[in-house]
Formats: sequence, C-alpha cells, structure tokens
Amino acid sequence: MIIKVDEFIAFLYKCQDKGFSGFDQIILPVRSGNKDSDSFYFAQLSKSKEFDIDSYRTVDPLKMFFFLPREKILPQTFDNTKRLIVGAKGCDIRALKVLDKAMINEDFVDPAYFYWRQNTTIISADCTDIAPTCHCNLVDGHPYAEANFDLNLSRYKDVYVVTSGSEKGEELLELLKKECKVEPGSPEISANIQEQRNKIIRLLEKQNEQYERNNEFEKLKQNPMDNWSDESKTCIGCGACTNICPTCYCLILNDETKAEEFVKVRSMDSCQLNGYARVAGGSTPRPKMFQRFRNRYLCKFLFMKSNFDMLGCTGCGRCTEACAAQIDFRQVVNSVLNAVVD
Amino acid sequence: MNNPYEVVPATIYEIIQESPLIRTLRVQPEKPIPFKTGQFIELTIPGIGEGPFTPSSSHFISENMDITIMKTGFVTEYVHRAKVGDKVGLRGPYGSHYPLEKFKGKDLLILGGGCGLAPLRSLFTTLLHEVEDYNSITFFAGAKTPKDCIYKDSVTDWRKYDNVTFMRSVDVVPDGEEWDEEVGLVTSLLSKLDIDTAVNPAVVCGPPVMMKFGTMDLIKCGFREENIYLSMEKKMYCGFGQCRHCVMGEFYACKDGPVFTYARIKNEEDIWE
Repeated sequence: MIIKVDEFIAFLYKCQDKGFSGFDQIILPVRSGNKDSDSFYFAQLSKSKEFDIDSYRTVDPLKMFFFLPREKILPQTFDNTKRLIVGAKGCDIRALKVLDKAMINEDFVDPAYFYWRQNTTIISADCTDIAPTCHCNLVDGHPYAEANFDLNLSRYKDVYVVTSGSEKGEELLELLKKECKVEPGSPEISANIQEQRNKIIRLLEKQNEQYERNNEFEKLKQNPMDNWSDESKTCIGCGACTNICPTCYCLILNDETKAEEFVKVRSMDSCQLNGYARVAGGSTPRPKMFQRFRNRYLCKFLFMKSNFDMLGCTGCGRCTEACAAQIDFRQVVNSVLNAVVD
Repeated sequence: MNNPYEVVPATIYEIIQESPLIRTLRVQPEKPIPFKTGQFIELTIPGIGEGPFTPSSSHFISENMDITIMKTGFVTEYVHRAKVGDKVGLRGPYGSHYPLEKFKGKDLLILGGGCGLAPLRSLFTTLLHEVEDYNSITFFAGAKTPKDCIYKDSVTDWRKYDNVTFMRSVDVVPDGEEWDEEVGLVTSLLSKLDIDTAVNPAVVCGPPVMMKFGTMDLIKCGFREENIYLSMEKKMYCGFGQCRHCVMGEFYACKDGPVFTYARIKNEEDIWE
C-alpha cells in the first residue's frame, strides 16, 4: 500500500487529537540541536521541532519507552498513556524482540513492561542513511524491520510503502485509509524499495569492511585473557554502553518502603560496575575491569544467544558512540576473534 | 495480572542467636509460603533492602519459616539489628530444589560448613520427616571454632535415628573453648565415610572455598559428578531470571539453580567465586 509522505505527516498531526486516534502521545525522531546536527532523539511530535522519520537510528534506544531507567513496580501504579512511536529502526525493533523474550515469557511477566508494550503502537521505518557506528550487517541484521512492528514504512522518493505487521497495525491502517488517499502497491515500487534497501546494505558493507569477521562467537570465550586485558585498557567502567544498549535489561530492585506498604523500585543496572555481582562478604566473580568488559561481549554473543536464541547485539553501534574511551565495539570483537589461535 | 514482585509481609516471632555472627529468624508470614527444600526466598528489611536466603526449616512446614543469616553485609547488618515483633517481607520461593526422589532408598551424604548449613538444615529436617525412606543419611557439619557451631540445640535430636549419622568438626579449638568432637576441616570427616560412593548422592553447601575443595574431595572419594548437588548461592537479586546478576554463563543461579549438579555447571567460569 502506498501513501504520499506529506499526507502521512498530515495524518500524524491529526493523530495528536486523542478523540480521533486514541493516542495520548505521538513520539518520533527529532533532530538534535541545530539544523546541521546529524543526531536524533525521540521526542513528542510538535511543529517547533524538526523531525526525521527515515534517516537512521536515534541516540536513545527504543527500550527506554518500555524498560524505564527507574520505575516503581510495587505497588503497581501504571498510567494508561497510549503512545504511537513512529520511525523506530530495524536494530531497535530486533532488540525489542530480545526484551520481549526476557520480560514476557511463560515463567515470568514483568507487569510494567507488559503494560507499556500493550499501550504502545510502533511504526518502524527503513533506514535511508547510516550512522558512523551502524553495523547491523555484521550481526545478521538489516537496515529495516522484518517483523515485530505494527506498521512499517519504506520510503521511496515522496511516497511511503506501508506494511502491516500486527492487528494493532491493521487497525491503524484502517484509520489511515479513511483519512488519506492510499494506493495499492506495485511490483515496480517493490523493486524500487528493494533497490533502496540494497543501497543502504552496500553502504553498511563498505563502512564495516574492515570489521568483516568470521562469526564463530564461541571463540570470544576461548580467547586468552591477555587479549581482553589489552582491549579494555582504556575502559573506565562507567556503564554508558550497557545503559544505552537496546537489549541490556539488567535491573536492581530497591526497597523504598516508608510505611506499612512495601514499595519496590526497579532501576537499570550495569554489569560493568564493580559491585554488580558482588555478594555479601565482598566476593565477586569479576573483580577486574577486563573481566567485566569481557562479560558484556560474552553476554551479547553467547549468553543471550543461548537464553533467547537471538544475538544480544543488533548492530546499532550506540555503545561505541557513547563510549568515553572511544572503544569501538566492532573493533574489539574483530581483534579478539582474530587473535584466537586454532 | 499477578505482580511477580509482590511481597508477603511476615512477623519475626523468635530470634535464635546461633553464634556470634549467625542468627536464625523465625518468621510468620501473613499467608503460607509453600516451598521445596533447597529453594530460596527474598527477605526484605523494610526501607533497607532485600537479599536471597534459603529457608532453614523443613518444607513440610509452610505456616512459618526459619531463616538462618550470617552478619556479613549491608542488609544482613540490619537483619542482626531486628527484634522480635518486627515486620519483614518475603518473596518467593524461587529456583530449583533438592531432588528428594533421587535420594530415596540411597545412602545420602550431606557436607556443609558455616552458614552453608542453613539450606542443609532445611534438607536434613525435611528428610527426617520421612527418614525411613532413606537407606542412610550422613551429615558432616563444619565450623571454624566451637563457638561458631550453629543449631546446637538440635544436635541431640539429630543423633537419635538409627540410620542417621551426624558428625561435627571444627577447624580449630581456641584456648579456653571446650570441644569433644572432631577437629580439622570438615572434609577430613570424609575418611570416616562408609558408603558406596560410586552410586550414592552427596549434597554440598558452604563458603565458596569449602564448596570447591569439598567437591574435589568428593570426586576423589569416588562420587560421580552428576551425583554431587551444589547450592550455588550467587547475587540472586530478583529471583526469577530477570536481573542477570547471578548469571553463570548460560545458567541463572536463581532460575536454573540454586541447586545444580556439579556435572551441569563444571564448565562455567568462576563458579566458586
């Protein structure tokens, strides 16, 4: 199904009316700072901000809308805000699948996460450009969402090809059809979209040529500790990489009981911090920085893989972007894998 | 929807000071918390924090619960300030339990030391409930000094069964303390063991270093790796495999454990830390 970009934008503005759309908030990537800035962050739709649905991923991960940095989880006091998030990227959508598996499964459902997921509709959009740290092509990802979205937008020139991926998506599509002129897709436009997607993949391949590797991640574990120690030399253990990672969900539970009723607050934690796995008495399995540094890589490529049958890295490159020591995630994986002697 | 973080309020109705650093809280939850021996619960000290502890009472009792706790960190500091009548919170139970069905008809060895005796007391008292189902039970308990021995009041009781051997050993007897039982590391008691180690199960719990060398010694004695059951107590923050603090490779100590066979986890890194 095809819709003109202008008409779609007009539709989004109309969706700000809750009576019309049912949404309390329309959230989309907004250009940060001045016009020349090439970074984006999620913000509410407003005429005063320049937004960009296409381009590439935002600085902040999509997870922050579902797994809040700090949230009271006992007693439950969830508001019923209905949100529409537009312009989520393939890497974030895939990361959300990891979180879904972690937070909503047969053994356990996190109520807060569950409600945020229930109350949020996600429209993903193909990347039309790449950030310097983007590397989804190295982790079997694509610069577009393949599943787990409600609607997906693929831009070609001045139109969007709209694909529905869920019941919620179908409903929104009905509303869209009522409001805007939509046309059926054609093999020709599909071919154009495919070409557009391939173009971005080629850009990614070129950008990450130097990091091409054999993805035998078991080798990360076999690698001698000296290599990890070298790679982590400049790491200051701040935990920015895990906080900004779209699949990291380690949490701590704080007891904030003040009166009769028990109060629990859930916050984000980071395996990079020294006290992370420390038990009473002071013993910790990873007292050295390089051990904690290594743990993050093993978690992404081995532990999460075995827990969820998905890699914990979706190639968004945010950890590299956020690193105060300018440690490039791709470079580390590459050099550690290459350093393994068979 | 059930809130998995829900806390059951409980009242401390008795406190037993087992040793200078270890005390047993006897608590009465507002509603029964049925558990299987070896599983753990999260105990909240209101406004302070919570931590994972394994009940030390029999799982045949669910109306109240004994929890034996050593003063060793932030939360346990407050546990040791608690008074009878204080309110605490309980979540759980969580994790795996001791597979009693695999112990039935066998000669079971229980090896533990220090505060690691807490889950073992739960196991032991649960076993005593149906003691005739087991061919024999040997319980070797260790402590640093006679003063550090816990569950002193139960010793006589525990020795009155025909098929139960309960032996204690202390590392050292400081001047001025009395002791007429064994002296030496608890693992030295293994030389007195008279069971077919190749076919029988052993359960180990204690401080990390004791668990490590205890397990090695059991293997030397002929126990099979898949018959050695370890209580791997890690930083089990949430209790249900969400917070990832207790991850050992692909395993969660809280969800896949805390009771593991040595065979299952021996290839994971840093398990004894």
